[in-house]
Amino acid sequence: MIAVRFHGRGGQGAKTASRILGTAAFLEGFVAQDSPIYGAERRGAPVAAYTRIAREPIRERGLIVHPDLVVVADASLIPDPAARVLEGIDERTVVFINSQMTSEQVHAQSFLPGRLTTLDLTDIALQQFGKRGAISALLGAVAGRFVGLRQESIREAIAQELADLGLSASVIEQNQDVALQCYDAVSTVSVVAGAPQPVGPAKLQTPIYEPPSRGTARISAAANSVLRETGGWRTFRPVLLPDKCNGCWLCFGYCPDGVISMSKDDKPVIDYDHCKGCQICVHECPTDALVAEREKEGGVAWTAR
Amino acid sequence: MNQTNQMMMTGNLAAAWGARLAEADYIPAFPITPQTEIVEALAKWCESGAMAARFVTMDSEHSMMTAAGAAAATGARVFTATSSQGLLYAIEVLYSISGWRAPLVLVNVSRALAAPITLEPDHNDVLAARDSGFLQIHAETCQEVLDSILMAYRIAEDERVMLPVIVNLDGFYLSFTREPVILPAPEQVAQFLPPFRPAHLGFKASAPHALGVAVLGGTPYSYFRHQMHLAAMNALDVHSETAAEFERLFGRRYDVVEGYRLDDAEDVLVMSNAFASRGKVAVDAARAEGRRVGLLRLRMIRPWPADAIRDALRSRRAVAVLDQNLAPGQGGILFQEVAACLYGEALRPRTLCSFIGGLGGKNLSEGEFRTIFEQTAEAGVRETGIGPVLLYTEAEHREMKQLQMLAGELGS
Repeated sequence: MIAVRFHGRGGQGAKTASRILGTAAFLEGFVAQDSPIYGAERRGAPVAAYTRIAREPIRERGLIVHPDLVVVADASLIPDPAARVLEGIDERTVVFINSQMTSEQVHAQSFLPGRLTTLDLTDIALQQFGKRGAISALLGAVAGRFVGLRQESIREAIAQELADLGLSASVIEQNQDVALQCYDAVSTVSVVAGAPQPVGPAKLQTPIYEPPSRGTARISAAANSVLRETGGWRTFRPVLLPDKCNGCWLCFGYCPDGVISMSKDDKPVIDYDHCKGCQICVHECPTDALVAEREKEGGVAWTAR
Repeated sequence: MNQTNQMMMTGNLAAAWGARLAEADYIPAFPITPQTEIVEALAKWCESGAMAARFVTMDSEHSMMTAAGAAAATGARVFTATSSQGLLYAIEVLYSISGWRAPLVLVNVSRALAAPITLEPDHNDVLAARDSGFLQIHAETCQEVLDSILMAYRIAEDERVMLPVIVNLDGFYLSFTREPVILPAPEQVAQFLPPFRPAHLGFKASAPHALGVAVLGGTPYSYFRHQMHLAAMNALDVHSETAAEFERLFGRRYDVVEGYRLDDAEDVLVMSNAFASRGKVAVDAARAEGRRVGLLRLRMIRPWPADAIRDALRSRRAVAVLDQNLAPGQGGILFQEVAACLYGEALRPRTLCSFIGGLGGKNLSEGEFRTIFEQTAEAGVRETGIGPVLLYTEAEHREMKQLQMLAGELGS
């Protein structure tokens, strides 16, 4: 059995990518299983999805703790402990990262065990589609290449899965073409199914009684993400062009996360530690005083403190 | 779809296909994660004409179940689905519907109950409905979800039963998990599931009748409630006939319980639902190390298949019941029921162990299964039962301490 784990942010297409891979494998006669895991469905929130591919019926379910291939749609997830991108990766695991950096550069920045390879799918999507959007087809195709699936089955799987999402025939065709370009462009590392790892008995620890101040789920603070800096969820940041701003406060009103405050001269001040990059303010600004700028890794990009 | 009529399908889509193939007439709906995909699929099919059912969106689960029961009382074949808080909000109506003996099928997608709130599964939601008079079938795979809905209609609509059925599937682990599912041919389903023609339900012009009328004094109430009990017990035999017919037509066999590697097992793990797949993998791993263990999966929870459970557990050294639920102040719900039905058995297992795991969708890891088998074997040797033991690892405990620290910092 080959176990593939996808990591992305809500809206990037990690779940659909896992389905494209599952469908392509199924079309080639394998038994496949795919499943996503996420909390409340939110754009930008960490999402994981799992695809298992085997010759025999699959009895494993849910979490993949020891993946053979990890596909990372967004490099900013790697340092986020909640996303658990690094969990269970060892020297034999193949790790693909959608990144502007080469695998050597990634290695230099943050040591990753595993056999690393990168390709800037976001840039390819921007160039080919002319706008940013989900990169599910691209992720699915790259994953398919690593596990040795054929181009035709990936093309067909993209058609099925994107049609299921209600996309038009022309958009689907464009996705197929760009995805197969990525299939060809990515430098391959072959994925090998890991031998089942011997697991010892779990060491249990029964929690003891604690008073309700600790024994109930509660957070007493104005924002429940004070410590969790959701700025890392952004792929684009809203940036103010002060000369164009007419001080109308609409951005302040529309911001769903309350991360825009207003200065004394009626200009928005954005809390980039917590702005998730939803771009609603950019969309609503009547004078185009807020513009979206792509976050660049290592450059202006937000980094966890 | 491939040559063997297989499709990649989530548990939710499999549930929707069950309703579609059963040719449900009426579908009242209200969304709730992780169930919503079921009613979305059905809405699409009703809109496109792929299904001839009447699809109605309601303002709550309470209204939804009321509409479902009322429609079933007119003689329509009714399907609906909910989850967790939704099931609990509807629960008052469940008791009425079973009392009317209106045999609809309700799918519950298990999700742990608030508070604290979560989206992931355990079985406190569906087990809260265990005394409602609805029969309950709990599925392990997406295929079983679809097949169980077809079987559920046939059992529910049998004149010897005429009770509604809940088919349960786990949120996420089945609801959002795609795996290959064989789609039964509609002609074969029509052969398996005859049209619904209940003698005691339905409305005709100039022939008024009332259901669920007031009865005072207790004598009629006792009589009618006892009738429901007899009807539920009849479902054991009807299930076995239905399973045989299902196997004849479709080649897949489902019994009220499923034994896995029980033959020479000295210790047996009893569990239910999707994690049973992992339980079977764990049995294989333990067997490879020389442990003589097996697994008993409870598929039908209501009626309680006491004889089948006794047959499977008779003369074992030790039995562990893994409950994916917790009754505060008591322990595991299924443990109590397993223990109760073994008490009168002369060759009952010497030792019973109770484990609580997978609460709120917490992973049941391979290591936890190993711990269950080890502790159960030790308890069997000592002839002293243990539990309830919470499956919670040292690593998870450390993680929890970390979270408490963060929450504490926020509060200060």
